[in-house]
Amino acid sequence: MSELHLIWRNLVRRKLRFALTLFAIFIAFLIFGVLGGVRTALQSGVDLMADNRLVTVNKINFTQPLPISYLNKVRAIDGVQVASHSGWFGAYVRDSRNVIVAFAIEPESYLQVYGDEIRLDPAQREAFLRNRQGMIAGEALAKAQGWKLGDRIPVQSNIFSRSDGSTTWEMVVEGIFRGKEESSDTRRMYFHYDYLNESRAIGKDFTGIIVFNTVNPARNETIARQIDALFANSFYETQTDTAKAFNKAFIAQLGNIAMIITSVVSAAFFTILLIVGNTMMLAIRERTTEIAVMKTLGFRSERIFRMVLAESMFLSLLGGLLGIAAALMAVAGLHKALAGVLPDLSLGPAVIAQALAIMLALGLVTGLLPAFAAMRLNIVTALGRN
Amino acid sequence: MSRLSAQIVAVVAMNLRSLPSRASISAVTLVAVAVVVTVLLSFLAMANGFRATVAGSGSPDVAIVMREGSEAELNSTLTRDQVNLLLDAPGVAKGPDGPIGSAELYVIVDGIKREGGTRANLPLRGIGPSGVALRDGVEIVEGRMFAPGTNEIVVGQGAMREFAGFELGKEIRFSRSTWKVVGVFAMHGSVFESELWADAGSVQSLFNRGSRFQTMRLKLEKPDSFEVLRDFVKTDPRLKLDAKTEQAYYAGQSQRTSDLIMYLGWPLGIAMAFGALAGALNTMYTSVAMRAREIATLRALGFSGIATFAGTLAESLVLSIVGGVLGALATWIFFDGLSASTLGGSFTQVVFSFQLTPALVWQGAVLALVIGFAGGVFPAWRAARTPVSTAFRL
Repeated sequence: MSELHLIWRNLVRRKLRFALTLFAIFIAFLIFGVLGGVRTALQSGVDLMADNRLVTVNKINFTQPLPISYLNKVRAIDGVQVASHSGWFGAYVRDSRNVIVAFAIEPESYLQVYGDEIRLDPAQREAFLRNRQGMIAGEALAKAQGWKLGDRIPVQSNIFSRSDGSTTWEMVVEGIFRGKEESSDTRRMYFHYDYLNESRAIGKDFTGIIVFNTVNPARNETIARQIDALFANSFYETQTDTAKAFNKAFIAQLGNIAMIITSVVSAAFFTILLIVGNTMMLAIRERTTEIAVMKTLGFRSERIFRMVLAESMFLSLLGGLLGIAAALMAVAGLHKALAGVLPDLSLGPAVIAQALAIMLALGLVTGLLPAFAAMRLNIVTALGRN
Repeated sequence: MSRLSAQIVAVVAMNLRSLPSRASISAVTLVAVAVVVTVLLSFLAMANGFRATVAGSGSPDVAIVMREGSEAELNSTLTRDQVNLLLDAPGVAKGPDGPIGSAELYVIVDGIKREGGTRANLPLRGIGPSGVALRDGVEIVEGRMFAPGTNEIVVGQGAMREFAGFELGKEIRFSRSTWKVVGVFAMHGSVFESELWADAGSVQSLFNRGSRFQTMRLKLEKPDSFEVLRDFVKTDPRLKLDAKTEQAYYAGQSQRTSDLIMYLGWPLGIAMAFGALAGALNTMYTSVAMRAREIATLRALGFSGIATFAGTLAESLVLSIVGGVLGALATWIFFDGLSASTLGGSFTQVVFSFQLTPALVWQGAVLALVIGFAGGVFPAWRAARTPVSTAFRL
């Protein structure tokens, strides 16, 4: 009988207990996997951002406006490769609750800055640049709203009004763009700033934020400081940060999600540790006589130690791998259901690697004590106990 | 029947008295249930606290008037002319100085979160002379109210708690303008406590808003005046605005976030409950196995199967109830009243406190009982069927 076979037989000798313990481990890793996916989803958008991308916003808050004249001043600064700007439009179509993420941009420069993230067919790009009333919509948005190329959409703003009091801007779908990755969020649209600016009653010649790429990420900080110094003591002071830092701060506004996830996962693993650890202790205690017999037969203590430890390791790995497999399926299912809330939900290799490490640790921690007990078992007392 | 109940009482008592001999494995069930209940209750308390703060903010006899389609105060714009027309609208209550209404501005400024030190959106509200009178329960807990026409600010105590730099006497710079914190206000734990308040005129000039306002709050004459007012602001060609009662406005804003937290809490709680259930079943099957001879002896003495069944089920239920109580206690000690903030429906931070209520504790207790029952009933069934011969087996 091979050692592996022996370990397996020991593990499943009490089938119900084995199944229950396995299930408890399975649940803990399922939770870990799904929450790990959520955490990655919140970070991934940020991690994918280019290192040389900077954002200049109004120092009071990024929702406060910046004069459009700032754009050319930013462009004039040495080390700024290409700069553009975007403004929140507060768009909706038909019903004011059907809110659409829409930005008024300077098309040509914006598509240069975001060439990597906004993937557009060259012909559609040309059409968009040529038509002042044109807009480009993300694949997901176009699908959700049922828009096709060439459609004329009456887009309304919950913020801006035209000089005549109307709140509708008619736009033509000139392009439908894809994101950098299959999973990238494309539920948004862009249109010409000029089209908005020439007709709006308030906020003329102001935009929301200025975005630009630097020639070299190493110069980010110097350039940022130079820009903020340039506008210091003006009515519209600025704050320039990397796009990564800017977005990280925005996510932090939701609350300390990372801490909540860590707490829940720790609570789950703490419970599992108790359950599995106790079960292992119990299993070894029940086998006292048997282990004593094995020792009498000449099984070396180290071998007994190894076998018990292998048992707990195996239990932990089996339950854990099943849990992660289930988490992969759950995340794939949730990805569709939560596309609006967490577009980048996915279970990446980093989370799986972490899970593997935890499985090994769990197996080690729960097996170590029983393994020691088994190893140091005294044959005489063990057999004498009965 | 009375003999059976006497048997049940005897077996249950015996089981519970022998619990210490299975201390470690019983403790595992207890702790597992406690952890599950704590996780569930902390999420429910979070959702509940957020809802209580936001939904409890609005008054039924105050109307908010906004630009058509704006949905949130932040987006809306009203002109000076519209504001004047609104004051004379039908259904508006009148005080000694005329109609009670406050034309307000709602701009977002940065605050630094005490936890983590990141910048977050805080609302700076410019209010009119009737702004305080309109709102019931505003009290200055420190310092004084801002003086009209000055760059003075009062800070809600929620904003004060979660964000740094707004202490009494501090000067705050927004671009070239400097503001001074002169007071701290409370308003029965409402969402307004997450705001900074200043004079509407000062906000207009220092944020370059000209004579524009964003929203208008109007005190309603009678509870049923709202419909008259709503129809007026909707149909008058000079207005064409949306009106909502403040209560409806804030109820709508709390729904999404509190639902989201609840929808996170319950599946998590249930998934963890399954894990704990596996632990409980393990414990109880082991308990039955350890007591096999004892159970068989009882059966041999003439105790019925029902009594042994009840004994085992009771053991499981007691463990889970104690676990549930511990979980509720832990939630109460560590989470109840805990202050937190998140981005609310107005795109600004809402400061709220976790709120554990008896109704929530009851939900946690139900979950604990379900674990205890499911974890006990199958092992109890096995106990009841323990063959009498086990007692005589060596």
